[in-house]
Amino acid sequence: MEIKSNFLLIENKRWVTASIFLALLVILPIFILFFSFFSSEKETLIYLFNTVLLDYTLNTIYLIFLTSFFTLLFGVFPAWVVSNNTFKGRSFFDIVLYLPLAIPSYIMGYTYIEILSFTGPIQTYFRYNIPYLSGFFNQDYLQVEVLGIILGLALYPYVYTASRISFSMIGSNYLNISKNLGLNSNSSFFKVVLPLSRPAIFSGLFLVIMEVLNEYGAVQYFGVNTYTAGIFRSWNSFGDVNGAIQLASILLVIVLIFFSIERSSYSKSRFYYNKNTQLNIRSVSSINKSILYFLVCFIPFFLGFLVPFVFIFNNTLDTLHLADFTKVINLTFNSISVSTLSSFFVILIALFFLFVERISKTKINAYISNLISLGYALPGAVIALSLMILFSESLVVGTFGLLLFAYIIRFLAVGKSPIKSSLQKQPETIDDTGKNLGLGPFSLLKKVHLPINRFALISAFIVTFIDVLKELPITLILRPFNFDTLATQTYEFAVEEMLPLSSIYSLIIIILGSLMLLILKSFIDKELDVSKS
Amino acid sequence: MKKIIFFLSIVVFSCSTNKEGNNEVNLYSQRHYSVDELQYKNFTEKTGIKVNVVKANADELIERLKNEGENSPADLFVTVDAGKLYNARQSGVLQQIPANAINENIRRDILDTDNYWAPITYRSRIIVYSNERVQKSELSTYEDLANPKWKKRLLVRSSSNAYNQALMSSIVANLGSEATENWSSGVVANFARDPKGSDRDQVKAIAAGQGDLAIVNSYYIGLLLASEKDEEIEAGNSVSVFFPNQGTDDRGSHINISALGLTNNSPNRENAIKLIEYLTSEEAQKVYVNNSYEYPANSLVQPSDIVKGWGEFKIDKLNLNALGEYRPEAIRIFDKTGWK
Repeated sequence: MEIKSNFLLIENKRWVTASIFLALLVILPIFILFFSFFSSEKETLIYLFNTVLLDYTLNTIYLIFLTSFFTLLFGVFPAWVVSNNTFKGRSFFDIVLYLPLAIPSYIMGYTYIEILSFTGPIQTYFRYNIPYLSGFFNQDYLQVEVLGIILGLALYPYVYTASRISFSMIGSNYLNISKNLGLNSNSSFFKVVLPLSRPAIFSGLFLVIMEVLNEYGAVQYFGVNTYTAGIFRSWNSFGDVNGAIQLASILLVIVLIFFSIERSSYSKSRFYYNKNTQLNIRSVSSINKSILYFLVCFIPFFLGFLVPFVFIFNNTLDTLHLADFTKVINLTFNSISVSTLSSFFVILIALFFLFVERISKTKINAYISNLISLGYALPGAVIALSLMILFSESLVVGTFGLLLFAYIIRFLAVGKSPIKSSLQKQPETIDDTGKNLGLGPFSLLKKVHLPINRFALISAFIVTFIDVLKELPITLILRPFNFDTLATQTYEFAVEEMLPLSSIYSLIIIILGSLMLLILKSFIDKELDVSKS
Repeated sequence: MKKIIFFLSIVVFSCSTNKEGNNEVNLYSQRHYSVDELQYKNFTEKTGIKVNVVKANADELIERLKNEGENSPADLFVTVDAGKLYNARQSGVLQQIPANAINENIRRDILDTDNYWAPITYRSRIIVYSNERVQKSELSTYEDLANPKWKKRLLVRSSSNAYNQALMSSIVANLGSEATENWSSGVVANFARDPKGSDRDQVKAIAAGQGDLAIVNSYYIGLLLASEKDEEIEAGNSVSVFFPNQGTDDRGSHINISALGLTNNSPNRENAIKLIEYLTSEEAQKVYVNNSYEYPANSLVQPSDIVKGWGEFKIDKLNLNALGEYRPEAIRIFDKTGWK
């Protein structure tokens, strides 16, 4: 009875009911995993526990530590320098520091090893020109530490973006106060700005850690056995799918615990960005400082984007006579279509859940909005596996519909976060005013929230687009016949050790991704302006 | 807005799989070499049968076949590892191929005794050694790689690689678990560095002086020697190829096959059989050797010139299903002896 009367109190019941059904659909594959966890043999799981799993877990922790260190190094400092100072090249760096996000991390890994290898340009140059130094460069670069740096370069934009937005929104009041209290600019940064931006930086770092946990191509190449390698050892070596599912479920629970700890610490330290005050951008007087700031920004951009881009571009030119242009155009079209379609659905569904959460104000919907993000914590291959099990014996596997569904489960969290932060900024009085004017929920969504959150929606579209563009395991497992994307073709050449032939496909991924990021950048600027005005 | 959604729904749901055969044949393939595309194109031109392909990893494709069950649109399962075909057969997703579908000139010693799969090419997992630092006379067998004289000199990739798993399975099948475990411990003690990288990276590491000999698949040497980059050709030329276990009483070098399995619920069975006939024929086998560095399964066809240059060799006549049967034991030995 109580439940029933509670339900009667909920506003917009139809919306809430619809959201529960849709959420079940999205979460179902994840439930399937837990179901098979309890129902199946645990032979392989126990075997892995007894043998290699501890080692794999320690490797994972070490790799996460290394990658976090380098993403913070390459992300936070440039963000601070760009937000707070003018110097030569600032506006350029403000645009290009995002770009490494366009390069899939496994391509970054393969490319750097090729560049650094015995037959690569650096070692060859030294052998022929400065032989006495060539021994110095002749090293084994397939090391976990090198992988940490490479993943740091590929993933730092997550931290950079979060920090950059947070630093610009902190406003000058905090800084003026800290100056009055006698702190110099360095101490203000460490004692005031960093603690205030901790939640933002952490949310960026959280994405980085998720990416490291899901990374398989690069870690396998480097011979670093991580926890995910354990999942695949069970599946691909022992042919035991259940063992893989059990390991993935355990990973999911660990991520959930980590996630909620992060959440609760975040809610305790919540603070409000000071609007109406703009950060005073200081011009840098001393030349030394100018050079330092330039380098802080130049290094991540140079190593994270320019070097791999130029190398891949050069390889493309070298192999141009071997390229099949009909195929190139075809695959580009395929990649753009799946990325566009799935990003569109992702933002539609994310907006729906967040909007229902907002208008219903129920606890259920708050939970739902968190639960639908879980797909991001699962390796793509495991999501694909759970969908195959769910749709067993049906004609659904191998359709575009299921492929899109899998992308949606995987990337809902990515599309959700920009929309969420934008919606949170809109005061509830907007909704009340709308209601007083006689707007139903649908009109409120269409006439009010779509327009005022448009920058966030477009940002969400773009970040999802780039992720789908780079996506590999789901596409491989669930794709329809004769369906290749730029990412699958790049992978097939790379894994057959024909990296130069893959370059034209990876180059297009990078160019498309970069263009989208440049558009995204202009929207972030607009959003920052809007929130300040 | 409504129009967009309507349009999108049409796009999404109109592209469902076409199971019932028009004139086509559907492949789930682990192979993704450019030569395959050429073969399928030639087949279509000759027969009018369209070839549709899904490419992914073997275990993922087996899982897809299992879950699709009777509704699976796939006709053929193509792999580069007899072990995976063994697993597919154990999972009940394959049926026997009529014996007359496989070209009569396919080498008898690489056929499946029960005809669950048809081999198209084979490759050997061999030893390559530095021309500067190793004498050919020092090399003999896989077993000898555990000899302490190779301490800190041996290079190989990780144990998660299917080629290494197949090699280890063949050694378990030939020598038994206990001897294999001792062998593996000895090999691990000889590693020049932790296992990592690709086969090609092992050869480059020899050229760079990080090790003296490596276990790699034969065709990667071919790829290096045919590279567009002079540096890579040079690296390829700094090593020589050695086929182990060639002594008169010895078993021969370990090989593995690329092969086609006919799926249990094949909706276009006749077309699938036509494709098997075609790909094992002399005509198609010549296309394989001209565009890759694998050995042809058809005994009437000669391998490419680079490959021929390594000389003929005796192959290990082990029943290739053993590469799947002994796989779990092989993995246990890898883990137990610390082969990462």
